[in-house]
Amino acid sequence: MAEPSPLLTRGLSKSYRVGHIRQSLHPALIDLDLEVRRGEILGYVGPNGSGKTTTLKLLTGLLKPDGGEAWVFGQPLESRAWRHRMGYLPEHPYLYDYLTPSEYLDYAGRLFSLPAPVRRKRARELLALVGLERSTRVPMRRFSKGMVQRVGLAQALINDPELLLLDEPMSGLDPLGRRLVRHLILDQRKAGKTVLFSTHILSDAETLCDRVAVLRAGRLVQVGALGEMLRPDVAHMEVLVEGPGSGLPEIEGEMRREAVGDRTRLEVDEKALARVIVAVDAAGGRVLSVQPVRQSLEEHFFQEMGGDDGGGNSWEG
Amino acid sequence: MGGLSRLVAVAANTFRETVRERVLYNLVFFAILMTLSGLLLGQLSIRQDEKVLKDIGLAAMDFFGTLIAIFIGVGLVSKEIERRSLYPLLAKPLSRGEFFLGKFAGLVFTLLVNIAVMTLGLYATLLATGRGADPGLLAAIYPIFLGLVLVVAFAMLFSTLTSSALASVLTVGVVLAGRFSDVVRNMREVLPAVPTWVVDGLSAVIPNFRNFDFKDRVTYGDPVPGDVLLWVTVYAAVYVTIVLGLGLASFRSRDFQ
Amino acid sequence: MTRPLAVLLLLLVPVVPWSQSKIDERAGIFRAQEEVLYLWSGEQVRNLFPGFEDLAADVYWLRTVQYFGGQRVYSRKKDFALLRPLVEITTTLDPRLEIAYRYGAVFLSELPPTGAGRPHEGIEILEKGTRAMPESWRLRQYLGFFYFLYLGDARRAAAVLEEAAELPGAAFWLRTLAADLLARGGDRAASRQMWQRMFDQSEEGILRENARVQLAILDSRDRADQITEAVQKFERRHGRRPHRLEELRRSGLWRGPLEDLNGVPFHYDASRGRVSISRESPLWRPEPPAAGG
Repeated sequence: MAEPSPLLTRGLSKSYRVGHIRQSLHPALIDLDLEVRRGEILGYVGPNGSGKTTTLKLLTGLLKPDGGEAWVFGQPLESRAWRHRMGYLPEHPYLYDYLTPSEYLDYAGRLFSLPAPVRRKRARELLALVGLERSTRVPMRRFSKGMVQRVGLAQALINDPELLLLDEPMSGLDPLGRRLVRHLILDQRKAGKTVLFSTHILSDAETLCDRVAVLRAGRLVQVGALGEMLRPDVAHMEVLVEGPGSGLPEIEGEMRREAVGDRTRLEVDEKALARVIVAVDAAGGRVLSVQPVRQSLEEHFFQEMGGDDGGGNSWEG
Repeated sequence: MGGLSRLVAVAANTFRETVRERVLYNLVFFAILMTLSGLLLGQLSIRQDEKVLKDIGLAAMDFFGTLIAIFIGVGLVSKEIERRSLYPLLAKPLSRGEFFLGKFAGLVFTLLVNIAVMTLGLYATLLATGRGADPGLLAAIYPIFLGLVLVVAFAMLFSTLTSSALASVLTVGVVLAGRFSDVVRNMREVLPAVPTWVVDGLSAVIPNFRNFDFKDRVTYGDPVPGDVLLWVTVYAAVYVTIVLGLGLASFRSRDFQ
Repeated sequence: MTRPLAVLLLLLVPVVPWSQSKIDERAGIFRAQEEVLYLWSGEQVRNLFPGFEDLAADVYWLRTVQYFGGQRVYSRKKDFALLRPLVEITTTLDPRLEIAYRYGAVFLSELPPTGAGRPHEGIEILEKGTRAMPESWRLRQYLGFFYFLYLGDARRAAAVLEEAAELPGAAFWLRTLAADLLARGGDRAASRQMWQRMFDQSEEGILRENARVQLAILDSRDRADQITEAVQKFERRHGRRPHRLEELRRSGLWRGPLEDLNGVPFHYDASRGRVSISRESPLWRPEPPAAGG
């Protein structure tokens, strides 16, 4: 028999009560059917308030579902056995001010009943992995948001989980940190682990995911490989030019021109690229960079959904 | 027993938390209070000084202990919920019951250490000022500790039901009402119009914190019968179990939005 | 809530009052005795709470009531040693707390186990009250009553009631009662009238309850006297005293009950032919000093 998939949900639903006096139910997640395949990185994307965090909280038992079922490694959600094989990073984690990262990871390890030497070894390795090896003995109250996020990632990995649930793992991180998390997630896949991470920043999903699941207003609208969802055609090129200023004449095939300091950014048709370079050279300017502008996931969604923004959802970032 | 070891892990962390959040600063204050009282009373050398010293020591244990039990007790769970620091923990094999009881055990241990150190301080002061170390004081200190455990249980129950501000108010209210429980029992003598069932109901619901108060008796050197302490222990244990059980049930059924 | 937890908690609930009763049984006894008052004078307390005297008075008043109730329920000795100083402190802190004077006077004067059995102290409290609230005819009336009821001093009582009658708002019957006292030196009818007045004037509660008991005592004494008369009739008719009160029933000389108003059978002294309230009865009191009873 084939091994059960790391995560499977059927009809998972959750509503919140809103209002104090006249309470009404606000559906946060509606009939979620989702399967995460072994060894894949699944991006769980959608605007803020679309139900991503609700899903992860339901899976980790922080919320109780109103309806539906879920299985982790083939075991029902209510069973606790699978929790030894799972790691979870909540959104905007807050850890403990008064603990150092080493102490915190030790605490996390004790909850998995790991023996003390293993806890020490894992803590040291993980803190090095997230780039905090020099702050292991500093109380976390002195940590920046990004450093806390890194400790949060480390604690999610303390039990060497087979399934990682990460809620907005990139939030609060600087570019270096984002790259670190990207590598970390890819390393997990390389080690045969399964990762489900949520994000409202589409480019993160774009660069990492094997598949994405798109959530909108509590409903799963699309699941699929990125290649299937994105049109591969490159529409136009972006050329960054230094020098000529207003001396640059209008070029055939030019779509847009924008001055950025003493530089000029041009958006041109792919076929006009050669003409542009010649014209810039003739005007005494210099071409700094040429980039293809592909249609991104984000634009794709705007197209798919016609920019309609029902339910107060909005894209950020 | 993985469950027990996880519970102990939570308790140990709670103990570390309370200690690092400067809870035991009150010990410094207690030390200063004891030293000053010892010195001043030695100077004044009134006949009653030994009794007064014991009164101050026991009252300080009761008072500081109650403050810690209320305000740390209320924050114990609600702070973790408000700051979401329990999210990563509850996703681990830790059950909510283990977390809740572990938190309780941790604070109870803090209070135990706190009261033990204060007891040593009181004895040290008594000895240093040339008075005997009266072991009878323990018969008042032990029930004080039981009372504190009950306060923690109430604080935790309220903090699972409502906001931490309101929970603090409610806990203070229960503690005050419990300390005036004799007034409640004799309420009809002041407010004759109050129906009997109100008085009976109130005295049934309000814990009788007077049960834990043997300070007067002990400072006068009167013995506290062992079976009274036994019944007080039974009372405390049962009350704590009920209150904690309700708190646990409420905590278990909660959604963390 | 999971079912096992709910069942456990439900099973535990009755243990709470049970262990409480055990504690009361063993600890309540000494708890009431060990009461200590650190400050014995109202002036000392007053100096401790500048600006908060009324609040302090309320606290002390609560303590007074609580102390009194605790003594009555738990104490073996029931000497109410602290009642006087507590009332003194309360009334020094708030001299116009009228209930404190009345309450203090009644329970200082009443005999144990109801009160402290120190009527002179009760009267001192009322005298303090009439000095603090000279315009209160009610307190003065109480003072008059107490002179008669507890000290048996009808003349003094009549004089005080005359004074009370002079005050604005005073009840019209004060004068006739005073005249009665002077004319007949006081009798059970006067006692009855006084307790009836206090009963009518008291709010629901312990003071009113006490007045009700006093009226029951007077009624029981009336009944005992009537049975004594029946005994005398029996003796005249049969040439001997009945051996037992039930004989009065058979002979048709007494058809009423043979118990006091609390349902306790009367005591019958066959040697003297006298019927009185049994010592077993909560209504028993020593014979009053003067008032015929």
